[in-house]
Amino acid sequence: MESVGLNAYLFVGAVLFVCGIVCMAIKRNGIGVLMGVELVLNGANLNFVAFAHYTPLGLDGQVIALFVIVLAAAEAAVALAIALNFYNNHLTIDVDRGNELQG
Amino acid sequence: MDTGTVLRNLLTLAWLLPLAGFVAEIYALQLRWSHRLSKAPAQLAVACIGAGFLCSLSALLYWGNATEWAALKPAEHGHHAEEHAGAEHAEAEMSPVDALHPAEPEAAADAEHTAVAHAAPVPKFYAGTFYKLAQFGPLEITLDWYIDSLTLVMFTMVTFIATCIHLFAMGYMKDELTEEYEDHQVHLPGGHHFTRPGRFHRFFAFLSLFCFSMLGLVLAGNIFQVFIFWELVGICSYLLIGFYVERHSASTAANKAFIMNRVGDFGFLIGLMILITSLGTFRFFDVENDGVEQTGLFSLIRGDDGKLDVSDDPSVTKSVVYLRDSHGHRLADGTTPRTISYLLLIAAGLGVFAGSIGKSAQFPLQTWLPDAMEGPTPVSALVHSATMVAAGVYLAGRFYPMFPPEVLLGIAYIGCITLFIAATIAVVATDIKKVLAYSTISQLGYMMLAIGVGGWAAGLFHLVTHAFFKSLMFLCSGSVIAGCHHEQDMRKMGGLRHKMPLTAYTMLVGVIAIAGLAIPGVGNALFGQALAFSGYHSKDAIVASALAFSELNPNPLHNILFITPLVTAGITAFYMFRLWFMTFAGQPQDEHVYEHAHENPAIMTVPLLVLSLLAAGCAIGGEDGWLYRLLAFSETVPAVERATSARVATIVLPSHHDVHDVHGTAGGMALLAAFAGTAVAYLLYCRKVVNPDDIRRQAGGVYDFLVDKWRFDTLYDVAFVRPCHIVASWCQGFDQKVLDVVLHTSAAITVVVSKWERTFDEGMVDGLVNLVGTSTTNFGRSLRVIQTGRLRQYVMWIAVGVVVLFVALFTALPK
Amino acid sequence: MTTDMLFWLFAALVCGGALGVVVTQNVVRMAFWLILSLGSVSALFFLLHADFLGAAQLLIYVGGTVVLLVFGVMLTASGPYMQIKTSAADGLLGACVGGLLLLVLVSTISAMDWSQLHPAGAESIAFTERPEGNTIRPLGLAFLGLRPDRPGDGFSVKPAPGYLLPFEIVSVHLLVVLVGAAYLARAKRRTHASDDSLSA
Repeated sequence: MESVGLNAYLFVGAVLFVCGIVCMAIKRNGIGVLMGVELVLNGANLNFVAFAHYTPLGLDGQVIALFVIVLAAAEAAVALAIALNFYNNHLTIDVDRGNELQG
Repeated sequence: MDTGTVLRNLLTLAWLLPLAGFVAEIYALQLRWSHRLSKAPAQLAVACIGAGFLCSLSALLYWGNATEWAALKPAEHGHHAEEHAGAEHAEAEMSPVDALHPAEPEAAADAEHTAVAHAAPVPKFYAGTFYKLAQFGPLEITLDWYIDSLTLVMFTMVTFIATCIHLFAMGYMKDELTEEYEDHQVHLPGGHHFTRPGRFHRFFAFLSLFCFSMLGLVLAGNIFQVFIFWELVGICSYLLIGFYVERHSASTAANKAFIMNRVGDFGFLIGLMILITSLGTFRFFDVENDGVEQTGLFSLIRGDDGKLDVSDDPSVTKSVVYLRDSHGHRLADGTTPRTISYLLLIAAGLGVFAGSIGKSAQFPLQTWLPDAMEGPTPVSALVHSATMVAAGVYLAGRFYPMFPPEVLLGIAYIGCITLFIAATIAVVATDIKKVLAYSTISQLGYMMLAIGVGGWAAGLFHLVTHAFFKSLMFLCSGSVIAGCHHEQDMRKMGGLRHKMPLTAYTMLVGVIAIAGLAIPGVGNALFGQALAFSGYHSKDAIVASALAFSELNPNPLHNILFITPLVTAGITAFYMFRLWFMTFAGQPQDEHVYEHAHENPAIMTVPLLVLSLLAAGCAIGGEDGWLYRLLAFSETVPAVERATSARVATIVLPSHHDVHDVHGTAGGMALLAAFAGTAVAYLLYCRKVVNPDDIRRQAGGVYDFLVDKWRFDTLYDVAFVRPCHIVASWCQGFDQKVLDVVLHTSAAITVVVSKWERTFDEGMVDGLVNLVGTSTTNFGRSLRVIQTGRLRQYVMWIAVGVVVLFVALFTALPK
Repeated sequence: MTTDMLFWLFAALVCGGALGVVVTQNVVRMAFWLILSLGSVSALFFLLHADFLGAAQLLIYVGGTVVLLVFGVMLTASGPYMQIKTSAADGLLGACVGGLLLLVLVSTISAMDWSQLHPAGAESIAFTERPEGNTIRPLGLAFLGLRPDRPGDGFSVKPAPGYLLPFEIVSVHLLVVLVGAAYLARAKRRTHASDDSLSA
């Protein structure tokens, strides 16, 4: 039966994940980086839910996905606070300007 | 307060005031209370010692009143009671035997046979303990006080003379009141004289400490305490003799005095050790501690009757002295009686006396005293009259009950030899202070002789009178020296009585006093004695004691003990008048000195006048006078009856009665000798009947021998100093040839090894550590480049890393 | 069939949205593409019978997180900073690395035989087959520590553990994080001196 299976969902998750990574890697805007993070998390979440549906992982997958959503929300809040501070200190949101950790 | 407490408080005050003065004077300059040009230290010192004198004098008067002057009443010497003593005092008479132990209640009961009941016995002494320093088993180290009439007289005498000398020194030492004192006797290589800041305050600080030490010694109530202050006196004399420390002669003299005293003190220490091991106490007097009576030294040896309790064993080595308590009962440990070997007692006595020999410059340790003239003249006056040398005689007198007759005989001979040797050297001395120094040694010999032949009171009597006239003469000589701009050679003086009459005639008083001149027959209205100054009376007493001794002891050898002092009395008169004639009479010998001579200001002459009055009159009445009786009151071993001893040698000590019997004879002979000496001096040095230079040429050998001080210094040089140098040079050679080589070799080896180690350390160890350090640093520096701090780059690397990892896993690892 | 069609539709929306986020330079448009992508993910959750999760995704992400991001954009990106361009080199490098990574992931997923995970005979999990597709009750019970989906057999297989403790930890964690975020983001007086000192 040529139905939509697990692999299809995993491919979508992979695309989301790669887009998130690329977004983090190329966006100079701090907010854009955060959006990349959200994409990565969603890619992972999609995988969890797909596994929950197609494998005996069952409810555990959904629970973990729920935790990820909650923690992502928390992460977004803190990250935005950090971004605001960054902006306050640098008068820009360009992450390339924040190279104080240069060795 | 009872009498003892009052006396203790007064004397303690007099004793401690100079110490306070010393502390204040020492710190005055450091704490900037004072400055170098200030006379305040001297005034403070005078105030301290003057207040001490007032305390001492009031203590003496208080004691006299408290005892109703029992000491001054004629003592019961058989028929010696004088008619002028006054019948109204007769009821208070008491014999010395009663006076010995009135402190005990039993003694009071014994004393009931005295005529009137209310005449309570007068305590012979007051004693007690200030403070217990430490206790080692049965041995207690305490600060005690012991006050009898001798203590009181010594305190008054010492403080009075010291006050006079302090006043005199204020004038004499005024050269030191400067920021730059130029010492003309110290030559620097460049032909300059040494200059230094003046030391006025230091001089008076040392004087104060000296007085404190001497007074502490006199007040001390145990022999160990005496030893402490004994050493303090020694160090003070060292400091003062070496006052001009830059002068080589002065520092040498100070060292000599100190080392000579060490020799004597060694004996003293041995004596102390014998006493503590055999008798177990240092205290002079008995104390009651927690109901247990601790018997003091005097009671242990002399019991209650003043006699040695010697066992009957005929063998000298086995004979022992039984120790007794103050009631005369023999002490015992269980059933064994406590004893001390007779020979040990002699050894202890000789040991303690060795200390006296050193301190009082007796033969054979007399050589330091003339050298001690290097100190300033007021110091000489103090050392020679009241403090240092008096300490030795005082100790011999204080410790008299501990001396068995054999030791006393030794003391007598030592004194006899000393007085003769010193007098002969004084004859040829030309330095005015040296003459006085040798006369001091000679007079100290007299005192020792007196104590040795049983004339205890006579010896101490002479100590006090000598203190007055010798301090007078030293201050006079100081006045001459100051007046003649530090010229001390008598040959350059002469005729000075025109320039400094006050000094000359006060000096004459002292000279007559020491020479012992008297006008016989011109009866003193009050005492019926020959009209004479103090020296006559005291020397008279000594010669009488010596005569009585030599008469009682049939051994012809002991006649020396009488003949020598008699002859020496003549020599004394000769050299003292020689001094006076050469200095003050005749024609000026050196125009330069004469031109510049001048009388000194009042601060220096007034003490001379005061002292000359006392030198003349202090011994008024002789053996019936107040001074002698005060001293004799303290006699701890009664000389009422003859004391015979037949252990090592057969010795009979004369009683007062014996002495009195020969008094007239001895006095006459001494007076004759003195007149003879005076006459010879007058003829030689005033009339110039014979030129003394001719005599000098005639007796060249003897003269040289005397000028060389009997070659004692040479003898000691050969016997001790040179061998010491030789041994030292051996040691030096050993050190240089052996020890130094060993040390240098090991040092060189160590240096070589160290160099190797250094190379190794620097090359290997340091190199390794540095290599690790630098490589770490370089590695970190190279890694630093990739830490760009750019967020996006990191993310990119992560992604690349994951890809590479996957590719590596899937390609490299098999399925 | 309808489900498959829906899946492909939403999968295309998810991928397109994600690509839009990557490609767009304007941050506000990025946010729009992000909303599109995340909303489509929630639709995929519904397709996977995870109703509660899909709802939570819509509520929290689309309604919460993205709004938060937009607020951040508004607070930070003013005027000239609206657009911070990505250089072409960066974009190319990102595309290469992203392509490689995607290749790796896809090849890995394809190489895996996921049917091994299925226990023999068990076609699917019972509760997901329920027509109402209601997952709220089992999720709530799991957070209270009960596992009706894995009850155990009373003998050898024990009941699966619940999530009470993680749930509590996460709730406290959330509280703490929000307090901390509020603290971090509080209004501060901005000075040029501090600016200099920090950039120095």
